[in-house]
Amino acid sequence: MSLIIKDLSARVKDGAQILNGINLEIPKGEVHAIMGPNGSGKSTLSKVLCGHPDYEVTGGSAELDGQDLLAMSVDERSRAGLFLAFQYPVEVPGVTNANFMRAALQARMPKGETVDAVDFYKTMRNKMAALGMDTKFTARAVNEGFSGGEKKRNDILQMMMLEPSYAILDETDSGLDVDALRIVSDGVNAMRAPFRSFLVITHYKRLLDYIKPDVVHVLYKGRIVRTAGYEMVEHIEKNGFDFLKSEE
Amino acid sequence: MDFPQNMSMEEAFALAEAEAKLKQVLKESTVRFENAVIPNRLNEDWRFGRPHKHAVALAELLQSDTPSQGEATVQHAGDAAVPVTSEDDDLRQTEMLMPTIGSDALLGMHLKRFGSGYALYIEEDTKEPILLTYKTDTLYTPSTFIMLAPGVKAHVIEQHYGNEKGTIFATRNIQVAEGAELKVELQPYGCARCMVITNIQNMGGKVVHYTHHFACDWAREETVAEIYTPGADNQLFSANNLICNQVLDQHTRQIHHVGGATSNLLYKNVVDDTATGIFAGNIYVAPCAHNTDAYQSNRNMLLSEKATIHSLPGLEILADKVRCSHGSASAPMDEEQLFYLLSRGIPRDEALALVSHGFLQDVVDKFERS
Repeated sequence: MSLIIKDLSARVKDGAQILNGINLEIPKGEVHAIMGPNGSGKSTLSKVLCGHPDYEVTGGSAELDGQDLLAMSVDERSRAGLFLAFQYPVEVPGVTNANFMRAALQARMPKGETVDAVDFYKTMRNKMAALGMDTKFTARAVNEGFSGGEKKRNDILQMMMLEPSYAILDETDSGLDVDALRIVSDGVNAMRAPFRSFLVITHYKRLLDYIKPDVVHVLYKGRIVRTAGYEMVEHIEKNGFDFLKSEE
Repeated sequence: MDFPQNMSMEEAFALAEAEAKLKQVLKESTVRFENAVIPNRLNEDWRFGRPHKHAVALAELLQSDTPSQGEATVQHAGDAAVPVTSEDDDLRQTEMLMPTIGSDALLGMHLKRFGSGYALYIEEDTKEPILLTYKTDTLYTPSTFIMLAPGVKAHVIEQHYGNEKGTIFATRNIQVAEGAELKVELQPYGCARCMVITNIQNMGGKVVHYTHHFACDWAREETVAEIYTPGADNQLFSANNLICNQVLDQHTRQIHHVGGATSNLLYKNVVDDTATGIFAGNIYVAPCAHNTDAYQSNRNMLLSEKATIHSLPGLEILADKVRCSHGSASAPMDEEQLFYLLSRGIPRDEALALVSHGFLQDVVDKFERS
């Protein structure tokens, strides 16, 4: 059971080609990291996998536990077990965190069953406490007026509530102070399990010091150009991405 | 004219002057209604909203033999509610003097059918909202009068119920005395046609006015909110979800006759299918009304390429030292917001409903907090 990406190419709709044949396999239970210089296609990959309408797949395939991911609608992909923690979580005015989460969980319930309100609030409060979030956030509109760090924590809270099989964390460390980074990382680490995988997208070693990846990929010009272990993180931290120039 | 025995000469002169002024105004009103024309597109206040279809049909109905028939009920009002009768000349005169926004002819027709509805003379705080309901399946032309005594706090909800043949044409006069606070809601439901002319006269209190139109094929709402005393505060809110071929035609005037007062307006619509929303608002600040603080905002979310919005905010400021502004924005739903909800597994229809409901929720929250 894996997330298998083969020769995946994609472009901005009516615009530039960004992904040029990505090959990646993330088995259940593993944490993979993707690093790469700005503009290499890291965020595009995450959005394409989730079905963002701004992008068009021009070739290749993506399978989630044997299912054709690209044939699914955005919401179907999520219910199939895929989760994206956004680089820039969106504000949704007027929709409370509680209603938002309840709707997302309700969408996963078998027909005819409803989310138990008492259990739901209890679970949500417990997870918020684990992330150091004030329970007042349940009644606040999704991400509206949140600081950058609060938005990131809120995305991780959603991940903890939805318990996906595959989670993509797109630069979750950006905007987090040291303490928040540790709390968020602890939350992610607590979710590591043999039945769950993570794809962690980041520029920096600091996040990967907390969430130790099993495999590190380097993305450059829309392709995976290196796959290695944690030593690649150390190498990039020390030397930057200059070594990629030989790929040109 | 009979004067009370203990009245001073000055008071007697003032009363006589006021009586003469009223007579003159009433005489002018007669001319005003006689000269008024049935709304058409050439009238700037009826430029949009298909007046050739709806306003003309309403005028024909009002001029026909169709009687005004409906059911009026009031709950939780105690002794405050008095049924309006055709013999009540004071209330009739009050309606005669109502300002309209391009609908003098229609108001004239309403006056000819005067004699139904409720007058609420509220002299004590309300413990629960007074619920006023008008229902019809034909034509109904009620008048509502709300008079709030000094320092009193009250909450009034006025609901209009109709069906696919029901037309309700209502007038509402709201007078709020110094230090009084009134929360008032207007909720028209399901009428084929619904027209409401509202006049708020604020004498130094606080009025929080909220309208929510639901499933009316055509609705025209004219609200003139006037401030006569410094310290007064008018808050006008509206939140509506328009679908199918519905038309909601809203016109507002925030009039500051004196300075040192505030008024604030926030009207929001979500417009889907081939529905049309119209907002034409104006803030008027009289030459002497310095230190006025007034704001007006109209926001619209369009869910369909065939949905239409006409938004015409306006300012007319004749005083110095004021803080007045207006804003208008109409746009489709934010695709990133929608994607965010979809990415959490929420089905598309539900995600659309959540985002559009959230867009309007802001108005409801502000009304409840005010």
